[in-house]
Amino acid sequence: MSSAEVLNPPVSKGRKEVVSSPQSRKLRMQEKVAKGIIWGLAALTIAILVWIVGYLMVKGLRYNNMTPYNVTPYVERVIDLDGTEDDLVFIINRGVREQDIEVDGLRTLFNKRRNENWGFYNEQNLRAQPVVNENAGDFSVQVKDFILAGEDLDDYRGYVEKASSWDEVISYVGGTEGAIGFLPASEAADLPRDVKVLGVRRKAIAVNPSVLMIKDSRMLRELTDKQAEKIAAGEVSNWMEVGGTDLPLTLLDSENIEVNMEALQSTEGAVMLTDYRYVAEYGVRSVPVLRHETGWNLTWHFITEAPARSGQWGGISYIIINTFFLILFTILFSAPVGVMAAIYMVEYAKQGRLMRILRMGTETLSGIPSIVFGLFGFIFFVRILGMGIGFISSTLTVTLMVLPTIIRTSEEALKSVPQSFREGSLALGATKLQTIIKVVLPAASPGILTGIILAVGRTVGETAVLIYTLGSNYDLVSGPSSSARVLSLHLYMLFSEALSFDRTFATGAVLVILILLTNFSATFMMKRMNKNSGM
Amino acid sequence: MDKTTKINVKDLNLFYGDFQALHNVSMDIREKEVTALIGPSGCGKSTFLRTLNRMNDLIDIVKIDGDINYDDKDIYSQWDVIELRKKVGMVFQKPNPFPMSIFDNIAYGPRTHGIKNKAILSDIVEKSLQQASLWEEVKDRLHKPALGLSGGQQQRLCIARVLAVEPDVVLMDEPTSALDPISTSRIEDLIDELKQNYTIVIVTHNMQQAGRISDKTAFFLHGKIEEFGPTDEIFFNPSSPKTEEYISGKFG
Repeated sequence: MSSAEVLNPPVSKGRKEVVSSPQSRKLRMQEKVAKGIIWGLAALTIAILVWIVGYLMVKGLRYNNMTPYNVTPYVERVIDLDGTEDDLVFIINRGVREQDIEVDGLRTLFNKRRNENWGFYNEQNLRAQPVVNENAGDFSVQVKDFILAGEDLDDYRGYVEKASSWDEVISYVGGTEGAIGFLPASEAADLPRDVKVLGVRRKAIAVNPSVLMIKDSRMLRELTDKQAEKIAAGEVSNWMEVGGTDLPLTLLDSENIEVNMEALQSTEGAVMLTDYRYVAEYGVRSVPVLRHETGWNLTWHFITEAPARSGQWGGISYIIINTFFLILFTILFSAPVGVMAAIYMVEYAKQGRLMRILRMGTETLSGIPSIVFGLFGFIFFVRILGMGIGFISSTLTVTLMVLPTIIRTSEEALKSVPQSFREGSLALGATKLQTIIKVVLPAASPGILTGIILAVGRTVGETAVLIYTLGSNYDLVSGPSSSARVLSLHLYMLFSEALSFDRTFATGAVLVILILLTNFSATFMMKRMNKNSGM
Repeated sequence: MDKTTKINVKDLNLFYGDFQALHNVSMDIREKEVTALIGPSGCGKSTFLRTLNRMNDLIDIVKIDGDINYDDKDIYSQWDVIELRKKVGMVFQKPNPFPMSIFDNIAYGPRTHGIKNKAILSDIVEKSLQQASLWEEVKDRLHKPALGLSGGQQQRLCIARVLAVEPDVVLMDEPTSALDPISTSRIEDLIDELKQNYTIVIVTHNMQQAGRISDKTAFFLHGKIEEFGPTDEIFFNPSSPKTEEYISGKFG
């Protein structure tokens, strides 16, 4: 036996008799049940909270979409072109955030069917500037054929920049924002740092029209990337296996294009993996393929870039700045007025019926739906005072809206300052004003600050008021009468105009982060204040 | 020693709305003496004390009738209230340091009266704290929050804060009722020392305390002065049977 065991003899494990009665056992049971319910509800609350914030943040931070394209997700960085000796490489300026592009995109970029902007491909507001080498003869013509397949055009459109050698193309692409050009692969061996290769997706799934027909209330709408891979590998024998109709699947070779195209057009259920330009050229149908796209939603670019095209492109930098402007000016207007009103109500006014009515009034005002304030702001500031829809109208309306909150919380804060502080100060010969400024306000400042933070929170989250008074311009606020957007309004516009779901969530995430930061800083400030005063 | 009258109260009547709290109170408070005000709860002794530096002005419903002269000038018509409160300081029942540092608490009074010079303020703070015998305890933590001090220290800080504005008279409204016995005895010692330079009026519930520290005692009953005279006489040879009953603990 070791010495430790001798010193600490084992305690008997048997249950000891506990003095109890049916009554006390019942009470203990009740206690346990109550505790269980309380714990359960608390856990539920926390779970809901975590779930909401977590869902918003996850959706806001990452996007995860299945996007349909005419071509398969297969990316070629060096393109083997039929009929040319050299392979083809597309190069872009380093500043373009695009990694790869479908061949149809290249066609529109070089053809300027619309105001070409990289925003259509990667939401980056940047004008696309194509460049070609005039002196490349055959090669350029072949590429033109490739890009402009099916288009009856004699030459590249006028806005395409002309260069006279491959080196010039490279230096032009390197030196011009949003530039895109192409080179033979042999010239692209040693590219400078400011130029990168753009991948191209051009393989389409061309099918016989019978594949896309409705049969037994079924129809093939699209394929996932995995299904497309399986078809290309010859692992599918019937269209039913990939969500289509009951039709045997015949996979055709794309080597001898003319013969096989004829076969495709004449064979029911035939499919061919081929260059997308032949789909247009031979007038056959192709099946859209879903590409699984995932990545960061809330990026540095999103926060720092200016918004464009109603917020579909670019970022939200202007909108964040507008939000801060709105907060700043709202607090600038409302805090002094509200705190002074509270000082009057607590320190100076006679506590009578008038004060009771005033208190009831502020309480009622703080409970009125914000859209009513918006209506008032629109009628009064925008129309009657003729300020127009813009920053000043909205700031004043939001000021009116948050004023009751600030007055109420400041009033409570001032009331909670012990009377003994006031007496102590007055007994030292201080005036009432000195007492208020030097003793009462500092002692009440954590409470007043809480009110201001609440007001900031309300301002950040306000939408209804601003729809009527701030308008929807997504530029930076330039003056008192300029229309603008703030985060919540931007979120509302993105969502209601169905511009982009991902961007709606990213904006929402920014809002959540902003409010979290506000609250943390408020807590921090209050802690510091309390530490300094010793309360 | 020649002692002159510092505060002279004559026929003071005080009303809270319709309720009369003080009836024809007259009293002479002499310079550099400790005057104790005793009496049962609600007898008007605190109300009387608060009248002396016009703290009752803060209550809207109070009406005052009668003469109160400080240095032979009427405190309502001939003294500016700020000037009066500078001269007649007050220490309250519960220690009420402001939520700021010890230094700022003491410097608060001088600052509100326009002293900005840092060196002068430091001198005043040190002197006041030494007078309140708190200096040794707090000299290393002058810039720490005053609310971190113990109750007794806080009360001495409040006394120092009053002394910093260089008053003539110090009014004390039950200054030890919220303190432990040790802190109480320190404050009593302090009052004994302050007597050398200041006129002190103290309200107390504690009979022994009144006996220990005061030169004169006034016994208040139902808003009237039942008896006023040298403390020894009041305690050992009271002329009124009510006073005797109260002092011997028959009611209170």
